[in-house]
Amino acid sequence: MIRFDNVGLRYGSGPEILRDVTFHVLPGSFHFLTGPSGAGKTTLLRLLFMSLRPSRGLIFVFGENVAELSTSGRSALRRRIGIVFQDFRLLDHLTTWENVALPLRVMGKKEADYREDVTDLLRWVGLGDRIDAYPEILSGGEKQRAAIARAVIARPELLLADEPTGNVDPAIGNRLLRLFVELNRLGTSVIIATHDYGLMEQLDAPRLVLYDGHLQLRQAT
Amino acid sequence: MTLLSDIREYPWTSLLTGLLPARLAALLPARFQTKSAQIVPSASIAGNALTVVIAIMSFLACLTLGAVYMVNQSANAWVNDIASEITVELDPVNSADIEKKMTLVALFLAKQKGIINVKPLTAEDSAKLLEPWLGQTSALQALPIPRLIAVEIDRSNPPDIQLIKTALSENFEGVALDDHRRWQAEIRTLTRSAALVGLAVLSLVAAATIAVIVSATRSAMASNRDIIEVLHFVGANERFISREFERHFLGLGVRAGLVGALAAALAFLLLPTMMDMLGGGIVTTAETQRLIGSGELDLKGYLLCVLVVVVVACLCMITSRLGVIRVLKNYA
Ligand SMILES: Nc1ncnc2c1ncn2[C@@H]1O[C@H](COP(=O)(O)OP(=O)(O)OP(=O)(O)O)[C@@H](O)[C@H]1O
Ligand SMILES: [Mg+2]
Repeated sequence: MIRFDNVGLRYGSGPEILRDVTFHVLPGSFHFLTGPSGAGKTTLLRLLFMSLRPSRGLIFVFGENVAELSTSGRSALRRRIGIVFQDFRLLDHLTTWENVALPLRVMGKKEADYREDVTDLLRWVGLGDRIDAYPEILSGGEKQRAAIARAVIARPELLLADEPTGNVDPAIGNRLLRLFVELNRLGTSVIIATHDYGLMEQLDAPRLVLYDGHLQLRQAT
Repeated sequence: MTLLSDIREYPWTSLLTGLLPARLAALLPARFQTKSAQIVPSASIAGNALTVVIAIMSFLACLTLGAVYMVNQSANAWVNDIASEITVELDPVNSADIEKKMTLVALFLAKQKGIINVKPLTAEDSAKLLEPWLGQTSALQALPIPRLIAVEIDRSNPPDIQLIKTALSENFEGVALDDHRRWQAEIRTLTRSAALVGLAVLSLVAAATIAVIVSATRSAMASNRDIIEVLHFVGANERFISREFERHFLGLGVRAGLVGALAAALAFLLLPTMMDMLGGGIVTTAETQRLIGSGELDLKGYLLCVLVVVVVACLCMITSRLGVIRVLKNYA
């Protein structure tokens, strides 16, 4: 469902952050994306999410050549992808509940049909008593969980998560990982960027390792 | 057409809550309540200054439209009046016995086909007609004033004016017939130029409104850039994003349009009184009344003001929509 062919990327005229990156991701798979800080994990996810264009090479998402997509085509693909940003990107003037419900609203669903679902999911990620709070007063870990809830609420076909456990304690981290695994069991492909080895050890999943601009696939043992 | 389905799917019920102050809106039945908070906060849209500008635009549009309508109405009535009448003029200089000639001409006219009523005016009547232009009646007595016969014609079965004209000149001397045609044409020209001026004013007002809304849309988008970005990330398309913005501009257009139209309606209500107060001499009052009627706008005229509100609101909405979509094309 995702294919990178010799993708290279540089920001402006800077050095090449990614070089000859070639890999593919099958539907229903689960990958960790790892590598040292500054290796280009976020950059790779942005390419996948079509918020960045590659300097070289081809990217296919859901079988579509990203370079040939129209704006509306790109919006349509993004509705099938859930993403958790390293810096969360919650809207400050909306409550936690409204932030999480945003993708469903964008899809044009009726509020009555998803009111319960959003509340249930928020309870599940441990934000049951933060439903009407605004992001301003949430802790880093709480924001992170709200961002994750927003990414998974619409049952995306592909989930991209950038350091989703960077701000939470191991117990909650494991809980969130279970959420991802559960989603994966239901058919979502998952790519989690992390350098948290503790987290990666919890799960026997293949790792995409970025180092010095190159990507290597390390199969699960 | 997408515009039609947009109009159908628009959350019109939530517009009402946007119009009312928050405390009143809370009293409305649940159907009218907006459930989720607005994605683009209304506080981030240029507020009062913009409302004032749009209200003034709508006020000007109403005034212009109302004035053109008034001129048109009274001109129509006027043209109607004079179209059902012709005037026969007797030259007083060459006639020894003018009274006898008057009777003869009147009798002759009454016999013609298509003529309903013949009314010879006395010398005093004629003098009175000139009074507003020449002043005192007594001074006119000495002057040879043309004598007039007012002839009312049957408009459903009009007489052959040309035939009567030749018959008159064959049978009498110093008798002229005026069918007011030149006059009608002049009134028509007058109303047409009034309408053109009105149209020019309206287009200027519309252009200014569009320009103001475009720049307000741009600044609204600039100050909500992070919101637009997040909306992009969750897969919102241009239509969704523009709807979030245009919703505010529609509400603003309705509000401002109503204020402007109400102010204009008030001005029209007060116009007759103001005309009385300002109208100096008899001549000016008579002339202005001829031109714009009694100064009262009828029901249809007020409906035009309602139309202005609708047009202003639509203009605000559509302009902001196109503005948003255009800016979005440059993003990403
Ligand atoms: N917008 C940008 N413009 C220029 N350079 C950038 C930009 N974004 C990232 N970079 C550079 O690209 C490199 C890779 O950044 P990236 O954010 O992808 O790393 P990362 O693997 O996600 O790191 P971390 O683990 O710390 O999140 C870094 O050297 C960074 O300085
Ligand atoms: Mg990163």
